[in-house]
Amino acid sequence: MSFWLRVNMFFRSFFLQAGWNYVKYQNLGFALVMLPFLRRLYRQDPEALPSVMNRYLEAFNTHPVMASFCFGAMARMEESVARAQSVADYKEQVAEWMGARRGLSITAASIGDRLFWGTLKPLTLLLAIFIWMLLGVDFLEISMHPVPLLYAFTAGAAAFFVYNAVAQFVRWEGLQIGYESDDKSCFGLTRFDWNRTIYNAKRIGIFFAVGLILFGVYRFFEGVRVDIHFIARAMLVLFFVMISFVTRRLRIPNVYLYIAAVIIFNIVCLI
Amino acid sequence: MTLPLILLCIFAALLELDTTYAFQTLLSRPVIAGPIFGWLTGDVAAGIQVGIFAELLFSDISPLGGIIPPSGVVATVIPLLLYAQGIDLYFGFFLGVCAAVLYSFFDALLRKTRFKWLIFLEKRIGRRPSDITRIIAITLLLSFLMTFIFISVLAWASSQLMFVLYPYLTPRMHFAFRLSYLAVPWIGLAALIPVFRLKAR
Repeated sequence: MSFWLRVNMFFRSFFLQAGWNYVKYQNLGFALVMLPFLRRLYRQDPEALPSVMNRYLEAFNTHPVMASFCFGAMARMEESVARAQSVADYKEQVAEWMGARRGLSITAASIGDRLFWGTLKPLTLLLAIFIWMLLGVDFLEISMHPVPLLYAFTAGAAAFFVYNAVAQFVRWEGLQIGYESDDKSCFGLTRFDWNRTIYNAKRIGIFFAVGLILFGVYRFFEGVRVDIHFIARAMLVLFFVMISFVTRRLRIPNVYLYIAAVIIFNIVCLI
Repeated sequence: MTLPLILLCIFAALLELDTTYAFQTLLSRPVIAGPIFGWLTGDVAAGIQVGIFAELLFSDISPLGGIIPPSGVVATVIPLLLYAQGIDLYFGFFLGVCAAVLYSFFDALLRKTRFKWLIFLEKRIGRRPSDITRIIAITLLLSFLMTFIFISVLAWASSQLMFVLYPYLTPRMHFAFRLSYLAVPWIGLAALIPVFRLKAR
């Protein structure tokens, strides 16, 4: 895969989800990313391109960052399809291509969801909150002091760069690794120890999360006289934390817990 | 609606594209979008607070498969727009969260509608593969326009609603909204602990 072709596919991969729909998911985006490669591969036989594109318009769904492994692997397998010597060979290569696309997209989605949505995104959120706290931004108070512009954007920028350093590295490298690898190495997915990475990131995350809660509790108690109002407020916070664990077990999102709290508090206050 | 308000809605709609349809660099996540909107509406501190609260509140919903989480952009832009007009942040945040949940249903509807066009689009791509670039560009443009209309209408409707209701809101209601608002970071942080549970290597 030439450098400029890789750059072209990399840029197009940012639009993988542009045509997301409930039946074939990312199929339009998948075809968009693969088009430059297919054009180059079938430049001697342009009449074949529409029928090839139809294969790429079948259902496709994976994690948008990890999808680059699928693009690289599908490009490599498409070369085998294009080299088929007979109809039987062609059918066999197409069947292999379809099986690999399905299997690889599921595996990549599983890794991507755990790594990017399940670990890296919440981790960078905690990183941003931690930086703001170190800079003295007290977001737990309802009336906040003015914050210098540099402080305001430093934490957000840190979260943005940390997330994207990992995501864009995987997106860029995945294209080449997927293209160079074969099914024995699961099209390059085994090149990285994903489980270890996720495990270590989660360890850092738990450290940040517990630290943040302890700091929040410290700020809560700092300089406060223990009276009935304080105890009532502390009980309320504790109640919400406990309820949050219960609603999580019941698979009720926090957002509905908050909406319910607003309604219940209003009813109680009106009574 | 005034020109700055329209410009802000255009910027919000553009940023919302980053959530799903283009780039996905997470520039649209509340913790980043919040300070930006706060700066544009005149109070960066409020932007940081709304950004952190919104992201913590939505941290237990991930875009897995066909799940559409509530929009972080909508949840941050509406409270900050209302705050800039003199409405307390805790009222605006509640309306913003409701609008963000509503947006996820609206987005699901858009995705279902897009499917109806899919057969026609696939036929067109089958005839001329190069048309796919134009089709994706039009899809993005339509998504942007629909999001812009949604945010503009909701921002206008919520500000009108608050101006009508605000004089009738009792101190007890202020207290109830404020208390719920202050509970948000604790609810969110409690949800983050299980996210980092080390259940498997």
